[in-house]
Amino acid sequence: MDFNLSDLQRMLLDTAERYLAERFTLEHRRALRDTADGLDTEAWSTFAELGWLALAIPEAQGGLGGTMADIAVLGAALGYRCVALPFTSSAVIAPMILAESDAPQGGLLQAIAEGISRVALAHDEPDERYNYSAGRRTMLTDSGSGWTVTGQKMLVLDAPSATHLIVSAGGDDDFTLTLVPADAEGISSSPYPLLNGARAADIVLDEVAGGIPLARGRKARTLLANALDYGRIADAAQMVGSMEADLALCSAYLKERQQFGQPIGKFQALQHIMADMFVATHQARSILYSAIAAAEADEATRSRAVSLARINIAEAHQIVARQAIQLHGGYGITDEYEVSHHYRHQIVLEKLYGDVDFHERRLAAD
Amino acid sequence: MAIMNFELDPALEAFRQEVRAAIDADLTLELKAGMQAYAGSQAEPDDALTWMRILNKRGWSVPHWPIEYGGTGWSAMQLYIFNEECCNAWAPDTCWGETQMCGPVIYTFGSDYLKEKFLPAFRRGDYYLAQGFSEPGNGSDLARLRTAARREGNIYIVNGQKIWTSSAYASKWGFFLVRTDPNVKSQAGISFLMIKLDTPGITIRRIPQLNGEADLCEVFLDNVVVPAENLIGEEGKGWTYAKFLLDHERTTSSFIFFNKRELARAKMIAQNEAQDGEPLIRNPHFRSRLLRIEAELTALEWSVLRELSHEDFKYDATAAASTLKIAGSRLQQSINELQMDMLGAKAMRAFPFDPADREDAPLWPGYAETATSRALVMRAATIYGGTLQIQKGIIAKLAFDL
Ligand SMILES: Cc1cc2nc3c(=O)[nH]c(=O)nc-3n(C[C@H](O)[C@H](O)[C@H](O)COP(=O)(O)OP(=O)(O)OC[C@H]3O[C@@H](n4cnc5c(N)ncnc54)[C@H](O)[C@@H]3O)c2cc1C
Repeated sequence: MDFNLSDLQRMLLDTAERYLAERFTLEHRRALRDTADGLDTEAWSTFAELGWLALAIPEAQGGLGGTMADIAVLGAALGYRCVALPFTSSAVIAPMILAESDAPQGGLLQAIAEGISRVALAHDEPDERYNYSAGRRTMLTDSGSGWTVTGQKMLVLDAPSATHLIVSAGGDDDFTLTLVPADAEGISSSPYPLLNGARAADIVLDEVAGGIPLARGRKARTLLANALDYGRIADAAQMVGSMEADLALCSAYLKERQQFGQPIGKFQALQHIMADMFVATHQARSILYSAIAAAEADEATRSRAVSLARINIAEAHQIVARQAIQLHGGYGITDEYEVSHHYRHQIVLEKLYGDVDFHERRLAAD
Repeated sequence: MAIMNFELDPALEAFRQEVRAAIDADLTLELKAGMQAYAGSQAEPDDALTWMRILNKRGWSVPHWPIEYGGTGWSAMQLYIFNEECCNAWAPDTCWGETQMCGPVIYTFGSDYLKEKFLPAFRRGDYYLAQGFSEPGNGSDLARLRTAARREGNIYIVNGQKIWTSSAYASKWGFFLVRTDPNVKSQAGISFLMIKLDTPGITIRRIPQLNGEADLCEVFLDNVVVPAENLIGEEGKGWTYAKFLLDHERTTSSFIFFNKRELARAKMIAQNEAQDGEPLIRNPHFRSRLLRIEAELTALEWSVLRELSHEDFKYDATAAASTLKIAGSRLQQSINELQMDMLGAKAMRAFPFDPADREDAPLWPGYAETATSRALVMRAATIYGGTLQIQKGIIAKLAFDL
């Protein structure tokens, strides 16, 4: 075992840290709230130039063929700066599905790598809660002249800036994943912001034609399950990065803030809080590694490792991000200090693709 | 030795029915709906004042004050029942600065002039009042506050800055702690001053918060002229009055009624949100969290009742107040965070804070519009009114002399 970064990973991390620190300042992130779709288009082009959007695409398909460890290195750097761009959806989850599909996709993977196309996963439907195994009410039907998709999707992360959607459809027996252009006729979208400035949408698909079925049945289920676990690991890495930022922000604040004639970091009560946060964050990074190690294992092994990691990291996040606010006193609950941004970002990452209860149930089932 | 008696006085049940009927008759649907759709912790200042005015018609707006200033003469248990009924009916809070904090200081220490000027106005709900204590450099360490009031004849000239002044933007007056004597030990130089917020030299900035709200304010005071008759009590005694004020309502900081009402809302959400067709109230993870909270809340309620019925307490009374504050604030957080967690992925959405800015969201349950915002802002419950760490320090010192 070697937990030190490879030379390539070190370069990836150095570049990411330097670029993201410069670009994703608090002011810049707050300004992105005023954009229509939350996307920083200039940054997205830079992500493409730096190869980040090709990281998860296999070399055979024109990508960099990066490992889950590479993705996690970048993920932690993104989390450290609270970056809420469509990285996980477009550069991790979608490529995992597209690369394994035999259907012709018109060079979509290449367009993702180049930053031209972005793909969102439209899976959740109304009146359900983290349901990735039951059939969908959205239907894919053969109209004679081609496939049409009809249904209602909810909470489609990053849909407002997406060029394409991967739509899950079909009941238990005919589950499918279908690629549709986001601007296809029959699609109507109600967008809204999330707590961290990312965007999502509820989407009605009304006899949307022109879709490309990517996978069906067992294969579709497996692709979805694999892609979601990769997404969960990528998001976990971002949570760890965000918690590590909390450590840096708080330790600096404890040295700087004076009360009772001394830096508040001199109070042992706060030193111990800081130490608890440190332990939680350290453990979170460790269990992240255990999930990365299982990323290429069989589905049962991998999903178990991912769920254990997500539970531990969710609990660590609650300690770290909440105490980060507490240590800042009143400043912690304003929108004008970093710690409340990290708290909101971590809440979103924690609640994507399964919460603690979901992972507990997934573990209980095996 | 006193005999333990766990029974509620039967006459109180009749009182509860009377109060409930009155609230039912008086509370407008608009106020009620406003509270149910409210995404912050305390009511909107306008709603609080509207409710004060309604209560005042019955003589109930400041029931806990002495009768001569408009109180009702109700017993501690009657007050408890009244407050519980108001909260359960989704009545707005009243203006705490007036009813719980500044009012009692004025009727206890203020001049006749100040009593006449402020107490009837507070009681009637004429305007909102802000609390100007904390400063950018002085939160926990309030005694070293720096905002200075220099006496010149029959006026004070005030210079300095306050922060975290809740609802200052919507308030007409504020009660301020200011330093009138820079030459004595920190607590001794502090005075308690009423300042009208539209006085020239005052600038107010609203601070955007993590939940989209901007209730907290910064108040800048630049050569603000304040009549000396606005001084409450004696110069240099402000710290004593502030301590009196913070000790005055020992049990309110438990937020017992808010916590009970929000637990009821959590259970309602648990009935509505389902996993694989099964309501979360039957889901082991969420049921366990609900029951643990209910146990903690039951303990808190009985702690409050012990305080109200003046149980002889072995430890310092202020340590008891800190106990209620710690347990109550912990529940404010855990209950609202449970509501948020039960929403699952739906908790991620940032709804506008102001209900008027929210678009129709037919796929979304109404409670999703406010639960996350409240959970976020409840992080403040272990910060305001003396942080959790400060409360723990009080217990260690006053209960155990550590
Ligand atoms: C929502 C909200 C509403 C408020 N409303 C008002 C209002 O209307 N009027 C008003 O005047 N003020 C108000 N406040 C201010 C509040 O009273 C202060 O925020 C509080 O006293 C803490 O001060 P601070 O924010 O400066 O934090 P600091 O005192 O700087 O505390 C920072 C951290 O240091 C810790 N710390 C400080 N001293 C010690 C110590 N001795 N030992 C151990 N740990 C310590 C604290 O616990 C905290 O974790 C409000 C605050 C909030 C959040």
